[in-house]
Amino acid sequence: MAQETRELTRREFLTLIGALGMSSVAGTWIYNAFVVEKERDTHAVDPDKPYWAMVIDLGACIGCERCVHACQATNDTNSDHLWNIVLEDNETFNQHVFLPRPCMHCEHAPCVEVCPVGATYHRDDGLVAMDYDRCIGCRYCMVACPYGARVFNWEKNDEQNPQVPRWGTPEVEPRPRGVVEKCTFCSHRIDAARERNLTPGVDRAATPACCVVCPVEARVFGDLHNPESPASKKMQGREVITLRSHLGTNPRVYYLLPNA
Amino acid sequence: MFKKDRLFWSWIAFLLVVIAIGGYAIFLIMYKGLVVTNMSDGAPWGLWIVLDLSSIGLAAGAFSLSAITYLLGRRDFRPLAKVAVFVGILGYSGALMALAMDIGRPDRFWHGWVYWNVHSMLWEVTMCITLYFSVLLLEVFPMVADLPFLARFKRLNAFAHWIHRFAPVLAVIGLGLSLLHQSSLGATYGVVVGRAFLFRATMPILFIFSAIAGGIAFTIHVTLIVQWLKNRTLVPEKILFDAGQISGAVLLIYLYMRFWDATAGNYGYVPGRTEAFTTLTGGVYSLTFWGWEIILGGILAGILLIRAKFAQSYSLLLIGTGLAAAGLIFNRLHTTLLAFTEPLSESPPLMDPLVTHYTPAWTEWAATAGVVGLLALAFSLGMRFLPAFRGSEEPEYEIIQEPQSVTLVTETAH
Repeated sequence: MAQETRELTRREFLTLIGALGMSSVAGTWIYNAFVVEKERDTHAVDPDKPYWAMVIDLGACIGCERCVHACQATNDTNSDHLWNIVLEDNETFNQHVFLPRPCMHCEHAPCVEVCPVGATYHRDDGLVAMDYDRCIGCRYCMVACPYGARVFNWEKNDEQNPQVPRWGTPEVEPRPRGVVEKCTFCSHRIDAARERNLTPGVDRAATPACCVVCPVEARVFGDLHNPESPASKKMQGREVITLRSHLGTNPRVYYLLPNA
Repeated sequence: MFKKDRLFWSWIAFLLVVIAIGGYAIFLIMYKGLVVTNMSDGAPWGLWIVLDLSSIGLAAGAFSLSAITYLLGRRDFRPLAKVAVFVGILGYSGALMALAMDIGRPDRFWHGWVYWNVHSMLWEVTMCITLYFSVLLLEVFPMVADLPFLARFKRLNAFAHWIHRFAPVLAVIGLGLSLLHQSSLGATYGVVVGRAFLFRATMPILFIFSAIAGGIAFTIHVTLIVQWLKNRTLVPEKILFDAGQISGAVLLIYLYMRFWDATAGNYGYVPGRTEAFTTLTGGVYSLTFWGWEIILGGILAGILLIRAKFAQSYSLLLIGTGLAAAGLIFNRLHTTLLAFTEPLSESPPLMDPLVTHYTPAWTEWAATAGVVGLLALAFSLGMRFLPAFRGSEEPEYEIIQEPQSVTLVTETAH
């Protein structure tokens, strides 16, 4: 025989509502005080710090895919799950155009916003990075990425890297099965540059492998806050677009339209 | 009785076979990785997300009926709410199992609680689902503690009755958590700015309304089947019909919102969204969309559910609730699959490589069947052995045929 359920009195009910209200106020305060402030810091674009960007000249790219190979060798990626790919299109510009597509390192990155555990995040310098030790492999970031830039380790990558040693040697650790990965702008080179006093975009050892290997200088890297950087110079006098700009993601990869 | 007994144990044996096959598939997935599925970088979510969304949606009867019982003061709904809570805990268990095999690193399932990203809809869903699962555990606990062989543990029983006192409080918490995560499951899709077909502010609203309708309907549906098999009455017939009407009304309101969402959202050409909508209404999904989601599982189900009470027909109620539940599953299926097989939006050079084809692999079907089989097994055993579902010893119970004389005109007179 089940015991009768006691009704809540009005007083108890109001106390309960009050407690819920109070705790939500407290929660909001804690959230604003600790979480929002912390995030604002990492989101801000500091004019005194470098604004790393990649500039890709659609008129210059010849589609040789050396950037694809160099990326695969340097970052030790699987042939079926490349970080950097070259797409082709002959409708948009009335001419055949090759479009290399790395990660856009968006300022308002949908992947960073949706990751349930904060495994993908903005570094201090604004680049979008992955914490492979934190990623749970839910793949929501892949659903959210507007550029299809993310790949998943569906199985353990035990492939013999076909681009090693011809196009480079692995410079980063292999990722375990079950996590998402993507182009890093070769941030390990950028970080090493600070210690060795090199300039990313200028010194080869401090520049993303795809930009170093490009034979026609179709993709260059640099600091857009510095007007003398290769990236800034490359953009001068050219018509510049970003992909799917209407989404407001504000990518760090700029495409120069081919001259008509 | 003997015949039905044999039917019951054959059913259990059948479920065990299904679970064994599913178990093998899950072993393969854990051993070799998600590579044995047909998901890909282009279609990172598949059948298991449909299973996840459907089982949570169909479990929504638990919070809806608990709220009706304890917050709207309809204590006569309690027998149905009990069934709903039991269905609910199974639905959420299924969702958690589906998620556990879907994520690449099941060993890191706890990261959601430790590493917070409060911006993420999925984080919110993770927290809410696990918290709500605890609420459901507390709600189900007294039912399980009633089992005869547990009677000797006096403390356990005392604790169970003590918890039961808090049923209204649990109903409040459950309502809050469910409103949050049932909606934010829709928002999980709704915030995806890059996929025009998903990026709709209406998604959370559509999800919660369809879940309330489908969840209540599914609870009634399984109650009717169990009653017929046990030849006993678990829930008074008036309650079943009343709940059916609530479900039907919510379903029709949902369809109304869905109609305007589809109409206003596709008024002009919206890159990506229009293509996906065309595929939904006129492409490969058109048959299941119009047939199951809109006509059978939507309009017809809504009308049948409302009409069942006036006609006093269990047949109409059984069909209506089944169709409404199926409609919810098809809605989640279409939403998930279309998201990855359709163009994103403008930016032509990028469009084609990002459009993927996805058909679930046998491993995905088998694992899904295994999880569903496990839930069905737990449900069958629970309905048979839990004292809470013993049912009343009412005279022989039969499905009442729909009286021919009742016409649509009398409905309004009611």
